[in-house]
Amino acid sequence: MKVDKTLVASVALHVLVIGWGLVSFSSKAFESIPEETLPVDIISSDQLAKVTAGMKTGKKDNPKPLVEKVAEAKPADDAVGKISEKPPVVTDTSPPPVPKVEDKPVEKKPDPPKPVAEAKPKEEPKPVEKKPDPAKIDPIAEAIKKDEKKPPPKQAQAAPPKPPKPKAERTFDESKIAALLDKRDPTRAALTGAELNSNAALGLAHGKAADNSATWGSMFKEQVERCWKKPYGGIESQNPEVAFEIKLKRDGTLEGSPVPEGTPGTPYLRVYQESALRAIIECQPYNLPAAFFDEWKYFAPVFTERKT
Amino acid sequence: MTDKDGEDRLRQMLLRPSRRQIISGMASLGVLSGAGVRHALAQGGPKRIVVPEGEFTPLPIAIPNFVPGTPADTDVAIGVTQVITNNLKRSGLFAPIDQAAYIEHITNIDTAPQFANWKTINAQALVTGRMTRQGDGRLKAEFRLWDVATGQQLTGQQYFTSPEYWRRIAHIISDQIYERLTGEKGYFDSRVVFVDESGSAQRRVKRLALMDQDGANVRYLTKGTDLVLTPRFSPSTQEITYMEFGQGDPRVYLLNIETGQREIVGNFPGMSFSPRFSPDGQRIIMSLQQGGNSNLFVMDLRSKSTTRLTDTPAIDTSPSYAPDGSRLCFESDRGGKPQIYVMPATGGAAQRISFGDGTYSTPVWSPRGDYIAFTKQGGGQFSIGIIKPDGSGERILTSGFHNEGPTFAPNGRVLMFFRDPGGNDGASLFTVDISGRNELKVPTPGFASDPAWSPLLS
Repeated sequence: MKVDKTLVASVALHVLVIGWGLVSFSSKAFESIPEETLPVDIISSDQLAKVTAGMKTGKKDNPKPLVEKVAEAKPADDAVGKISEKPPVVTDTSPPPVPKVEDKPVEKKPDPPKPVAEAKPKEEPKPVEKKPDPAKIDPIAEAIKKDEKKPPPKQAQAAPPKPPKPKAERTFDESKIAALLDKRDPTRAALTGAELNSNAALGLAHGKAADNSATWGSMFKEQVERCWKKPYGGIESQNPEVAFEIKLKRDGTLEGSPVPEGTPGTPYLRVYQESALRAIIECQPYNLPAAFFDEWKYFAPVFTERKT
Repeated sequence: MTDKDGEDRLRQMLLRPSRRQIISGMASLGVLSGAGVRHALAQGGPKRIVVPEGEFTPLPIAIPNFVPGTPADTDVAIGVTQVITNNLKRSGLFAPIDQAAYIEHITNIDTAPQFANWKTINAQALVTGRMTRQGDGRLKAEFRLWDVATGQQLTGQQYFTSPEYWRRIAHIISDQIYERLTGEKGYFDSRVVFVDESGSAQRRVKRLALMDQDGANVRYLTKGTDLVLTPRFSPSTQEITYMEFGQGDPRVYLLNIETGQREIVGNFPGMSFSPRFSPDGQRIIMSLQQGGNSNLFVMDLRSKSTTRLTDTPAIDTSPSYAPDGSRLCFESDRGGKPQIYVMPATGGAAQRISFGDGTYSTPVWSPRGDYIAFTKQGGGQFSIGIIKPDGSGERILTSGFHNEGPTFAPNGRVLMFFRDPGGNDGASLFTVDISGRNELKVPTPGFASDPAWSPLLS
């Protein structure tokens, strides 16, 4: 159930934020001060599940196509590029030359042995003495070696990528990824407590309680600003500031009349306060994220021209 | 226009540091509303969501036709409604909603309207009113201003007047609405004196004319046989002083607009010109020609005694008092080119306040005291601008081929000036907000120049 809640919350938040952006940007060319963006963290358990699930299926699916594709692709490379232009590359690699050296004597040996066998069986120890290393290989069954060694060189040319890949995938997936994920979980848990929380403010120096006002506050702002017909203050800055305390119901309507803080001292401040009051009343109901109802059911909008 | 906008923005930007200094200074004095600061510091209060400065938007206001008290009052009721609507619309601060959109038909102003009907059409304020002819022949005007969102009556008045003054009643109601919704004094119940120009460009006839600030009720004060210039209102609104080219030298005259009585101010050798009343209406300040120069003199209208204020080998002219009468601004070329100077009203050292490129002329002090408006010539253009009395905060409000002669509305928020497009066409009157927005042509019967706005009539 926890998984569902966080999923729904993150999806809803994204939709709201993007939707709000679309609406506000399409309706007006605001010159609003860019808000700090909504901090959305999709945390461990979901991601873990997704990541691990994705890797597992990936492994199973990948090997089969990889094998087939690699096999097809590399012969093509060999035929075109390597044979004509890049023999040194083939020679450079340490494993291939050895089998070639082995193969050639092995293949040549059977030819000489036949005449040797027909003529003089005594000559057999000579090749054994001349080449002690191949001699070791010789003991292995020749017929089997021919069959096996011929495919190995083909595989050896194609092989170098192959063996590391299966090794890397299998070994790294199981051990290292699991280890990384395991490391993240305990740090999160240590910072945020037992429950996972999508609030990025938590864990910071000023974090006291859940504060999502950057989210719903900017939503409220955008909505109330559309109804606010700010009275004309002339060219002289009078820096008015009026605040209200308002209580909202779950449906976004006002529970009661907004309570202004203080009494305006000048006619202009009075007019300014009235204009803000009109805006608050006229713009209801407010469409604010239900998830944060506990935060926006009671707050204090401040209408100001002061630039902080 | 884009250049002007950019310039305005630049000026606003340049203004900012000084504003901030003012704010910080005021804040340190504890002048600013302490409530916000206190709450911001207080812990445990509700979360504060700051709704920052929005763009200014004209207030949507619904002004349904006033209810006629008797069927005979229908015309005057509609007329008053139209005058109010026009006034508020021209101010640029209100957006009257088209009557065709109204859902509710107001038939009785003594009961509260159905505010939901006005919310639906996005009205934030609603004006209802009634015009009733009384048994004694007087006209009774009532109006109520409603806050649609809260359903509260913001203001309400009733007036009695002679039926022929119904336009003035409409202007007075407009001022009430303006003041209640902007926090500023209105300016609609005021008049403008100007020079009416008719005839061809070669043989232009210039007459003094008087009209309401919205262009209605035009009256001609002179016959046009002599050239008249620079009319200025007395604070009493009953008298006008102006300059007229008579048989000899141009003279400063005083004209009572009610009685038509006319007299020459003083008896000076040489030319006297650019007169203006003192704020108390007891004195007239003007320029007197002395050889190739001119100096400022002030004349007491009762004792007829004359006092010299400047004595320079230069042309000092266009004096204008600060609203408190303590200082005056004027134009002088003592520094080489015409610039604006400020000095004590009793004379003494003058301080130059204009330092921009070009020349500055026709300074006039705002009734609010906060700005001095001027005509600036430079770069082949004539501009109307404002500057603070200390020389800071210069703003150009409009520029063009020929703009000249600014005069402030009684509340100091709007300027009227005249604009000459050049060629055979004559000048026209325009108004512009001192922020530079809402430039509007003022309807006049013919060409018009040299406007002077009266104080509020009531």
